[in-house]
Amino acid sequence: MQELEQLKQELKKLNEEAAKIRDVPTEQRAEFGRNLNLRKQEILAKIAAVEKAALDAKVEPIDVTAFCGVNEPLPEFYSTLMGSRHPLTTEMDRVVEIYQMMGFDAVESRQLDDEYHMFDSLNFAKEHPARDGYDTFRTEESLIPPAHTSTMQHRVLKQYKKNLDEGKAIAVVVPGRVFRNEDVDATHEHTFYQCEGVYVSKTCTMGDMLGILREFFEKYYEQKLNIRTQPGYFPFTEPSLEFLIEKPKSLGGKKGDFLEMLGCGMIHPNVLKLAGIDPEIYHGFAWGGGIDRLVMLKYGLMDVRYFESGNLYFLREF
Amino acid sequence: MKISLNWLKKYVNIPKEITNEELIRLIGARLVEVEGVIDESHKYDNIYIVRVEKAEKISETHLTLCQVNNGGSELIQVVCGAPNVQEGMLAVWIAPGAVVPASVHEDAPFVIGKRKMLGKYESNGMLAGADELDFGGDHSGIAEINPESAKPGDKLADVFNLNDLVLEIENKSLTHRPDCFGIIGFSREVSGILGQSFEEPDFLLHEEVFPEGFLEETKDGVQSRDNDLRVEITDVQICPRYTCALLKVNEATGQSRYLSEMQVLLAKSGMTSKSKVVDATNYLMLLTGQPLHAFDYDKFLKVGGKNEPNIIVRLAKSGEKLELLDGKIVECVDSDILITSNDVPVALAGAMGGKNTEIDENTKNVLLESASFSLYNLRKTQMTHGIFSEAITRFTKGVPAGGTFNVLAEAVKEINGKPLALCDRFLGRKGSETIKISADEINGLLGTQYSQEKIVKTLGNVGFLIKENQNELNIIAPLWRTDIHIKEDIIEEVGRLLGYDNIEPTLPLHKTAEKNRMFSFKSDIREKMLRFGANEVLTYSFVSENLLEKSYQDKKNSYKIINSISPALQYMRQSLVPSLLDKAYLNEKLPVEKFAIYEINKVHQKKWGVNEEGVPIEKMHMGFVVAERKNNNTAYYKAKRYVDELFNAYGIGVQYVPLKAELAAMKPFEPLRSAEIRLKDNPDVLLGVVGEFRNSVKDSFKLAEYLAGFEVDLDLILEHAANKKDIVVLMKEKRDLTVITDKTYGEIVDGVEKILDEYGVEAKISPVSIYQSENEKDKHITIHLEFTDFKEEVMEKLEKL
Repeated sequence: MQELEQLKQELKKLNEEAAKIRDVPTEQRAEFGRNLNLRKQEILAKIAAVEKAALDAKVEPIDVTAFCGVNEPLPEFYSTLMGSRHPLTTEMDRVVEIYQMMGFDAVESRQLDDEYHMFDSLNFAKEHPARDGYDTFRTEESLIPPAHTSTMQHRVLKQYKKNLDEGKAIAVVVPGRVFRNEDVDATHEHTFYQCEGVYVSKTCTMGDMLGILREFFEKYYEQKLNIRTQPGYFPFTEPSLEFLIEKPKSLGGKKGDFLEMLGCGMIHPNVLKLAGIDPEIYHGFAWGGGIDRLVMLKYGLMDVRYFESGNLYFLREF
Repeated sequence: MKISLNWLKKYVNIPKEITNEELIRLIGARLVEVEGVIDESHKYDNIYIVRVEKAEKISETHLTLCQVNNGGSELIQVVCGAPNVQEGMLAVWIAPGAVVPASVHEDAPFVIGKRKMLGKYESNGMLAGADELDFGGDHSGIAEINPESAKPGDKLADVFNLNDLVLEIENKSLTHRPDCFGIIGFSREVSGILGQSFEEPDFLLHEEVFPEGFLEETKDGVQSRDNDLRVEITDVQICPRYTCALLKVNEATGQSRYLSEMQVLLAKSGMTSKSKVVDATNYLMLLTGQPLHAFDYDKFLKVGGKNEPNIIVRLAKSGEKLELLDGKIVECVDSDILITSNDVPVALAGAMGGKNTEIDENTKNVLLESASFSLYNLRKTQMTHGIFSEAITRFTKGVPAGGTFNVLAEAVKEINGKPLALCDRFLGRKGSETIKISADEINGLLGTQYSQEKIVKTLGNVGFLIKENQNELNIIAPLWRTDIHIKEDIIEEVGRLLGYDNIEPTLPLHKTAEKNRMFSFKSDIREKMLRFGANEVLTYSFVSENLLEKSYQDKKNSYKIINSISPALQYMRQSLVPSLLDKAYLNEKLPVEKFAIYEINKVHQKKWGVNEEGVPIEKMHMGFVVAERKNNNTAYYKAKRYVDELFNAYGIGVQYVPLKAELAAMKPFEPLRSAEIRLKDNPDVLLGVVGEFRNSVKDSFKLAEYLAGFEVDLDLILEHAANKKDIVVLMKEKRDLTVITDKTYGEIVDGVEKILDEYGVEAKISPVSIYQSENEKDKHITIHLEFTDFKEEVMEKLEKL
């Protein structure tokens, strides 16, 4: 407390000094003011620290091994009626479950990765403009909070290569959180979720890819769907496609109302090669799409910003 | 990019049975993403060509009283304010009731009416200027129509082919297709999609512009015989080809007196008409995808300070300055490419020309450039200087070097100047690659059964050269397809042009896969937490410096984002609880009276270092915060109840010991009212922390008194989780035990367990109450015991505790 008093005195003195600025020659005033301000900030910071320490000092210890305070009732859980699960995690579980039934293992995506996995291992040429399209964040160490779950493709291919040696296919999905440096509005978030799929075998075809994707969306939305594709461009698939579904009537869709659900394509031979898989013998396909959009469509949500808002008025609806 | 369907139809024959709607669907399904369609089919309704038969000045005004002939039997009176209106001219008349085209897409389109001017002159409709017709900037007068192309009464839309649909193309979907950034390339693809062979425009196949004997071949390209244009490229990597021509022009800047088709096409593509030479270069760029640039040649010489033109293409020196056409002065970086006149910069290559060589009304000689630059350098230029011109948009896709000469020749023709000299330096010439592939390989990857004949025809339609050697196809890509190198590129072309939607979806059969343990574990926790009335939240992985400070976490331990959107998202978070405290404040304010929020997510700390792959170690944490606006009890025990139940559910024995560890996740917790959670059997394993928060933390997060939380490491918990919980359904002997003591609850339980062990008896211990009267020193701790094998003597011993 004594220290606090002393600091307050110093502050007072400083304020008095500041009043004298009128006596300082004009050309020195700026310097004078800057100096004073610096000292003032310093003292204020010290006062804040002392005040915090004083606050923290006012603490009664408790018996941390006990189950309740002395003479207090036993704490109860809240009512189940108050509880909720986040719609994104619920739906992500559902997504993984459907793919699991179709024979896909699941691996979670990383949230901080390097240039090699994010780009190089996916056949992005150095400095290629396609890298710009991803609007990646970067850390001081040039690490990247991944902008797509494809950042896991190379790892998954290496990790599951043994399947091929055993005569089985590689079939893996990778859900996870991804990041893009873009302004947030009702339909854009800098933080969102994606799910990647990777499939490699000796005999798989693009027809298989389209079949698996259609099957997934029909299972997810629990109805028959019209699908459509359009050409896309990703350095790590060749051919590359965008996959669309016609918005189901039950979810407010009209005929011809097609929605882009994901990007997909046959894995580029260079990507297989880099993972030590011979593209002359094996080929595969991969896809990646947003989970948020999937869920928004399912629940008819209009604003993506609610997902990371932490707002219980929203979350307790689920 | 905008693509006019009418313009497209000049190059592709669209069969009658294909409606516009179907055509757009096919383009979307087989070529590019069509973001939108602008319907201009009624934009020019009720707008006609008229002849001004009489034009009388209305004295003391700038107005003219006109009688115009719209092809009908009577003349129509229109008052016109333009200075260039005169008798005999053909003009454009917007009839009463029609909408001014430039205002069609505005919120309140401007409808032209019939009205009285100056109180006495009736004016019916208006005579329109090019800007009002939405053809660009010129507002100096009304548009004049060439009498050779129209007669009074013609619809403007028919004369200029304006009933159109304009496609808005998503450029990103053409990142790898520079050839499609011109109407010809786009049309070629549409031909291919429709299964038709594309008829290449003559000028792309051979030039017939230069007089015979004007050109000669050299080892680096072609040049005019008496060439005095010297082109030096310092590095072939930055500029594989530079072609330029010098021509004498009559008027470089003057515009045609008449509204021209070119002006209309430029406007539809989103560009404005500037001058004769510049319009021609822009038009050819839109047509072919090859950007061109025009310098004033005499200024070019003057800047270089010599009489001979010495064109040097080189990398910029860092800090070199150049004023661009738009008046902006750029300070170059060393990856910028410069066009220089005798080493003095005159253009930022591929991006924008310099002010010092701008075409103006006095330009007599024009130096035309048609070149190919490194897309990597230009991409950096684009990012560094923030230039997003039509030219650089194309160059950053990698304009192929093969086509510069023919486009330049066509530009010379279009400008109609006299060619004086030409120089072509093609140093980056590449041999053509042959790709060998079979129909089986193509069908094998696509899952189709296309015949070899169909494949050959499909590729041939868009310019691929194919030699069939029985089942083997030897394929050479056309020179504009610099993106074709491997078999898969060919497979893509076949699949795309014949339609991916014609591929039959199939399902490979599979067994179901094993569950991922962590996923199931997290899912299970979520179910439990739901039952306990807790709410799952997801919060950003990025936090502010302020949040770290408020939580007493060292920002140096956080990975820092260098290009964050805002200071609020600058650091990767070290633990989850600080983010939850932030959300707790939001919810208390809403207000929500009481809540338990939790998040399961990954966290990162620099201290943890990297894994065997060299990427940062990630940990899966669960954070939890319980808060109530009004509650006088000790919040700690509520949080402990939740976390304890978690360990209980997975059969993990834990102990709660006073908080000593100084880990980042523990920093916001108050040491005197928090506990470390350690494995009972192995106290070295620290699973997490549970507790209340420091007063200063509560204060800086502005949170109510009743506040506690926990943060645990889920990877560790999963590692120690028992697969099955023992379920015992037996008759149990139940007893309560009250101990009067000054010891902690933990010590009492330890004591009880020791005695049970001694007697080899098992019992489940659960808490009942802790009571202490005002004038007593000791507490009464009551626990409940459920014995599976009860012995009376054990109870006797326990009561002596």
